[in-house]
Amino acid sequence: MENLAWGLQMTVLGMGLVFALLGLLWGLLTIVLILDKEPKPPMSEQETHAVAERIAALADDAVGAQVPEPATVNGMPADLVAAILVATMRHKLTLRRQAAPIMRTYWPGSQLFASRWVAAGRTRQNYSWQPRGK
Amino acid sequence: MTMGGKTKKHLEVLREMRSRAVLGGGQKRIDQQHERGKMTARERLALLLDEDSFQEFGALATHNLNAFGLDQHRYPGDGIVTGFGKVSGRRVAVFAQDFTVLGGSFSEVQSQKITRIQDLALDAGIPVIGLNDSGGARIQEGVRSLAAYGEVFVRNVLASGVVPQISVILGPCAGGAVYSPALTDFVIMGGDSCMFLTGPEVIKAVTGEQVSALDLGGADVHMGRSGVAHLATDTEVEAIAMTKLLLSYLPQNNNEDPPQITPEDPANRMDEALNELIPDGENTPYDIRDAIASIFDQDSFLEIQPDFAANAVIGFARLDGYSIGIVANQPCFMSGALNIDASDKIARFIRLCDAFNVPIVTFVDCPGFLPGTGQEYGGVIRHGAKIIYAYCEATVPKISIVTRKAMGGAYVAMGSKQMRNDVTFAWPTAQIAVMGPEGAVRVLFRNEIKNAADPALREKELLEEYREKFFNPYRAADVGQIDEVIEPRETRPRLVRALEVLRTKVQSNPAKKHGLTPI
Repeated sequence: MENLAWGLQMTVLGMGLVFALLGLLWGLLTIVLILDKEPKPPMSEQETHAVAERIAALADDAVGAQVPEPATVNGMPADLVAAILVATMRHKLTLRRQAAPIMRTYWPGSQLFASRWVAAGRTRQNYSWQPRGK
Repeated sequence: MTMGGKTKKHLEVLREMRSRAVLGGGQKRIDQQHERGKMTARERLALLLDEDSFQEFGALATHNLNAFGLDQHRYPGDGIVTGFGKVSGRRVAVFAQDFTVLGGSFSEVQSQKITRIQDLALDAGIPVIGLNDSGGARIQEGVRSLAAYGEVFVRNVLASGVVPQISVILGPCAGGAVYSPALTDFVIMGGDSCMFLTGPEVIKAVTGEQVSALDLGGADVHMGRSGVAHLATDTEVEAIAMTKLLLSYLPQNNNEDPPQITPEDPANRMDEALNELIPDGENTPYDIRDAIASIFDQDSFLEIQPDFAANAVIGFARLDGYSIGIVANQPCFMSGALNIDASDKIARFIRLCDAFNVPIVTFVDCPGFLPGTGQEYGGVIRHGAKIIYAYCEATVPKISIVTRKAMGGAYVAMGSKQMRNDVTFAWPTAQIAVMGPEGAVRVLFRNEIKNAADPALREKELLEEYREKFFNPYRAADVGQIDEVIEPRETRPRLVRALEVLRTKVQSNPAKKHGLTPI
């Protein structure tokens, strides 16, 4: 029993000494690092962006080879051509719904057909005046 | 000073006056109008009219009154911008009330400016479009502003049925001011506009009832309950776009035809889906708008009053590029039964189409008039008679298609052959009879069913017999009440051909001062 107690005491003392020495060494190294560190001026926002862009460019170069060339139609990006097409179709639909001149069988005010308003009105104008009772 | 110098000075004065007129009630008021999310009168007109087409009249007109400090409030134009312009290349007369000038209050000068363009529009046979945004009569002018209303009203009535008149409500419209839009052919409400005869304050004072302006006369009220408005939009910009759209279905005047656009949808197109539109169940609802969308030119249907009396559908569409007026029962709302509101809605639309040479196509699926004391006490007889009157009076081409039920009085009323209908088609699913099978069998075979060994079985047998004999379009076709029974998918080509024949239809009514519509 005595031997067991002595053994435990020696274990605690030995391990404690080792950990204490390790802690001392860690503290010493930290102090050396702090003392050895060169002062760095803070980076401006512009510099931060430049660094970020450099990193992004590197990343782009790395994956660029895997991305297919963007599709084009007569030298224009296909997405742009598709957007123009959709806008044109919508515009045409609006023009049709509003019966815009370009969508009509003949232009408003066209002289192809006589205005019935004018024809009927001028016919009425030319009725000769009749005195009352005659 | 030389003559040249004098002229230069005159020109400078004119330019200065014009730039003042453009500012209306001043920059501060314009900014306030913008803060409320509203446009000024001139901005609205710029949006409505084709570029560089506006010709203003009376930009410098102003009142000469001094009462109640009015001499301190003289603005060129007096709160209204009037003139002529073009919408999609068509000549129109326009006026726009300017809320930045004394709240757009209606004055004697405003009346003079409006009536001036009304008179010219009536002479030239061109539509009149009014953009309303006014707090009401200018109180300081007293009876002058009230008399001014009358001048506008009488011209509204004289122009009615001669040139299309469209009112766009873009702000408050109260008191006597509501009657001018009510006398016009169409009322379009945009944004948070409202219309009422007596405002919330007066109502609170007289009856104690508390109600907000929008709850009293907002677009929801007039689109859904009162039926005063015909179209509504969330914003002013949409309201103005809607005005252009609506105008595209209407002619310049009662002597001309509406514009025809170059057709792109083939006249012979048949939609197989139409053959499956009518459900097997006799009382199963379907949406008649699906049939309309399929039969008429693609994306051309413009429904009028979609929320008011939804048991009837009215609107404009194009068929082979021509403008058509559509009247239909809506089986998916109240089974398409006719009631007081639906009768008013349909009758007014028929008369409008007739006035402006727009052919009418009617889709019939109506089990009859809605029964009940509420309807009878409300005068459904008188209101229903309006439909009959309108159909009988109309001289434009009229075609009807019986899609399913056409029962009793409703069959007669909804454009039957005797109502001077030109062509009547029926789908094979049509059920044309005096009344439904249950009612008819109980009336005709009451004793037989009562004395049968098994009354329920006998009634079932008789119902089957009645359905087979009368619940189809062939008996009506036998006696010439139906011109042709067609497959639903054939409807479009059949309509195109029928209307091609009827395009030159001329029919006239006996000479009279005017008929006595059952108003």
